Amino acid sequence: MKPAPFDYFAPKTIDQALEQLDRGAGDATILAGGQTLLPLLALRMSTPGIIVDINRIPELQGISRERGATRIAPVTRQNAALANAELAAVLPMLTKALSHVGHFQTRNRGTVGGSISLGEPAAELPAAAVALGAEIEAHSVNGSRRIPATEFYIGPYATVLEPDELVTAIHFPDWASGSVTVFHEVARRPGDFALVGLVGAVTLDQGRVSRAGLAWFGMGPTPIRAAATEAAMLGQNAAQLDWAGLAELAVSETDPFEDHSASADYRRGVGRSIFARTLCEALNKGAMA
Amino acid sequence: MNAPISGAGRYIGQRVLRKEDLRLLTGRGQFVDDVSIAGVLHVAYVRSEIARGRIVSMDLEAARALHGVHAVLTAADLGKFNARCSNMHLHHNDGPITRPLTEEFVRYVGDPIAMVLADSRYIAEDAVALVWVDYEEEDPLITVEDAMSGPLVHPDRESNVLLQIGLPPNPEFEKIMASATHVVTGTLRHQRIAQSTMEARGVVSNPTGMDELTVHIGCQSTHIASAAIAQAFELPENKVRVVAKDVGGGFGLKAQPWREEVGAIAASLLLRRPVKWIEDRFEALTTSCPARESDITTTMAFDKDAKLLALACVYNSNNGAYPHMPDAGMPVMMFMPGPYRIPVYQFVGKAWLTNTVGLGGYRAPWAIEALARESLFDKAARQIGIDPIEIRRRNLLTASEVPCLNALGLEIDNITPMECLDNLLTKIDVPAFRAEQAEGRKQGRYLGLGIATYIEPTAANGVFPLLSDHAQITIDHAGKVIANLSTHSQGQGIETTHAQIIAEQLGVNVDDVTIYQDDSTRSGFGPGGAGSRQAVVAGAAIIRAAKILTDKVKAIAAHALNANPNDVTIEDGMVKVAGAEAMSRSLKEIAELAYGDAKRLPPDMEGGLEAQYRYTAERMFTHASAAHACIVEVDRETGFTNILRWISSEDCGVQINPAIVEGQIAGGLAQAIGVVLHEEFTIDARGNPTAVTFKDYHLPAITDVPTFEYTHITTPSFSDGGFRGVGEGGMIIGGPTLLNAIADAMLPFGPLPDALPMSPTKLHNLMQNEPVV
Repeated sequence: MKPAPFDYFAPKTIDQALEQLDRGAGDATILAGGQTLLPLLALRMSTPGIIVDINRIPELQGISRERGATRIAPVTRQNAALANAELAAVLPMLTKALSHVGHFQTRNRGTVGGSISLGEPAAELPAAAVALGAEIEAHSVNGSRRIPATEFYIGPYATVLEPDELVTAIHFPDWASGSVTVFHEVARRPGDFALVGLVGAVTLDQGRVSRAGLAWFGMGPTPIRAAATEAAMLGQNAAQLDWAGLAELAVSETDPFEDHSASADYRRGVGRSIFARTLCEALNKGAMA
Repeated sequence: MNAPISGAGRYIGQRVLRKEDLRLLTGRGQFVDDVSIAGVLHVAYVRSEIARGRIVSMDLEAARALHGVHAVLTAADLGKFNARCSNMHLHHNDGPITRPLTEEFVRYVGDPIAMVLADSRYIAEDAVALVWVDYEEEDPLITVEDAMSGPLVHPDRESNVLLQIGLPPNPEFEKIMASATHVVTGTLRHQRIAQSTMEARGVVSNPTGMDELTVHIGCQSTHIASAAIAQAFELPENKVRVVAKDVGGGFGLKAQPWREEVGAIAASLLLRRPVKWIEDRFEALTTSCPARESDITTTMAFDKDAKLLALACVYNSNNGAYPHMPDAGMPVMMFMPGPYRIPVYQFVGKAWLTNTVGLGGYRAPWAIEALARESLFDKAARQIGIDPIEIRRRNLLTASEVPCLNALGLEIDNITPMECLDNLLTKIDVPAFRAEQAEGRKQGRYLGLGIATYIEPTAANGVFPLLSDHAQITIDHAGKVIANLSTHSQGQGIETTHAQIIAEQLGVNVDDVTIYQDDSTRSGFGPGGAGSRQAVVAGAAIIRAAKILTDKVKAIAAHALNANPNDVTIEDGMVKVAGAEAMSRSLKEIAELAYGDAKRLPPDMEGGLEAQYRYTAERMFTHASAAHACIVEVDRETGFTNILRWISSEDCGVQINPAIVEGQIAGGLAQAIGVVLHEEFTIDARGNPTAVTFKDYHLPAITDVPTFEYTHITTPSFSDGGFRGVGEGGMIIGGPTLLNAIADAMLPFGPLPDALPMSPTKLHNLMQNEPVV
């Protein structure tokens, strides 16, 4: 379990990092918190020729407010984001998801951007980005673009990012104050990846659903947005929603797999139960608030 | 001399803090990888990527050419040693010929076929990646079922059955089966599990001088390691020095050096260089003597009063290609009758060879006996319609029935399972639980209570090297105590417990006692950590050696002070004469006499304060007893099992240190929880291990292990000191206790599946049934 040889660069600016990625021509890998990359390197499941360590670039750290959104720079540590009071006030759903990422010790090192750009299908943050309508800003030597999270993930650990692109920010749009947090994760042990997870937010306007963003994790090759379910809820009176029918619809949008921890049927079955219960509890709480 | 220590003493029975912990918690432990020797070469193994086939060709040139690589060795290079691995009994006639590197045929994924020696492990692994092997692949045999019908794993053997054991058929058996009021049968499939020691295996081998070899190795006995290495290389044992200060867990994995350790030693002898191999976690989870994979079908026949008439078992074990501990179920057969009255008993067991990594022994290698027996007792109780506690009461041996010989002819004596069960039941209100359970079921909450009883065979005096232990105790000229023991610790806290025994016996402060057990050339031969023996056998050896020593101190003091030796006592490091306070002398003063002033010693007395004793337990086994209970809730939404309560009621005789006793029980229970709920060494159809990191190999985490409630009975054993072993009990009893609780919780949905672990998927699937309350 020793990494194969690689060249190591620790640029001080985004431009220097982009140049290294450009020069690396697909053979370069970005090191952020290293919580996934280092084990992959040690197992030689990943053998990049160049490692570009972005931990020393000041612009890639921190959380800031922008018009109608919160901007999280990618190397922001998960624990720093979790402890950010402003974030908790604006996006409690994201704070809730962050509290389930790995363990206290791994969150000290692990980054928000690392988790989001890696695309582990059972991880909390990619699903949160999809559910909450985040956009991922990426730069390369050729320019920049903003990619909706819903279009970002294409398979397990696979995204639309080009090899020369660097995620420079994640923009989470605001949700109306009073929007309810939807979050439930079934995992064997605290800190494990989810067997089944659901994250999102729902906004009510005079008892009717005015906005809904829901995504599954651990339920397919990518985080899965429950788009049809969101649409079915829109405009409906929250007190009169057909939970059994919605749960069925939401699970039908998934594509779960079998692995060491659970069968596909298990994931569907548990997904059905938690969907109805989680949303029902969240909306009841929201209605009371 | 045989008088047991009863009750709490100044040190015996006290929760003395561990002497080891300051060193371990401040990073000053000395594990194998902490040993650094100038010029050491690091080993990485080239391992087979297929489970079965022939090596057509191998290209090692690129690896050999890499800068920093000193050698790439194959079986042919090591051939001059003819080195064979032996089992912990130091013979190798019950397994396939096992050499460090395979020659032409590979027999499991990970089978070592070459080894790289380089300046660093990084370079060694780079070189491994440059080795090209061309295989002629064949379909592998993965399971026992495959082995029954497939081609031979070792073509030089007659069949894939490595070993077969059994009891001669008893003609009574069929008659009983035909006429018994109740017959119950159950099959249990035990998954393969990974050893998961905190420190993986490792070795640093250093040839020195003309013909001496010093080996630092993760082991369970420096002596067995030394003997096994000497045997493998046909070296005189007195030239092989094995050193192992701290070892992070053994469980059986480190009972004897195996292929990779022997390979590293061979390379050091060949190259005349120090060589280091440190197993990494990937190797540990894929190629490091996993354990347990076996199935057992058990049948019980009862009379109309639910009393056992007969018990029969058929056992099959997947031994892999080169078992570290060949297993056809001998100890399962020996211990299956346990604490019960069983008139007629049958057992057939087979060890099967397959194209998987060889089976190792793991804490209580026979533990499936308790899983099978105790879960079948519960099934029988349900079938007969009596309480699981009652069926045990009717079949447990009572105090008035022992000593007796069990169905196998093994002596059962001085056991207390019924007393443990009675004590357990004072801690739990069973009727109240049953009411809560019934109420819960109406509300969709599925609670279960599991109970199990057993006896644990400890401190064997049976087969070499599980015979005796040795203590050599010195009071030095400054009055401090050094003990060299034949024991070995992989974390059990022997430096503390055995210092407590010495301090109690010698009347000195426990801080003034230092124990060494880290060097095969310093202490007497002993089997170390194996079979829950070290407290019992080495503890008794200490008591006898200490008696020799205290007698000598008293004689010297009496002579010097002109007192009667019977009036002399040693307390708190002071040698006192009854009724003569002013004559008190420190132990240091007596030691100075013993070492420095021969003229003042009694006539003809040898100088110095040194004593030794080798103790052999009088009985073949010293049994510990226990009864455990646990309460679980299985969540219908997720299939998760939540352990709500766990009560241990055990009798391990006189306790040296209750905190360490409880630590042993807790550790075993945690492993049992892993077995029942979490762990599984999975292998795909091509023979590839698929749970290769702790992300996929699920060890129980702290959140899976409840706060255990302990209650102790202390019935002294027959050995000096009255101790009984406690190392494996938690592992044995934890499995059936938890399994029975889950089965009880799941009763409304039907019987549990046969195969462990009881994963959320399996339980959730069963809970799709409509509950029958």
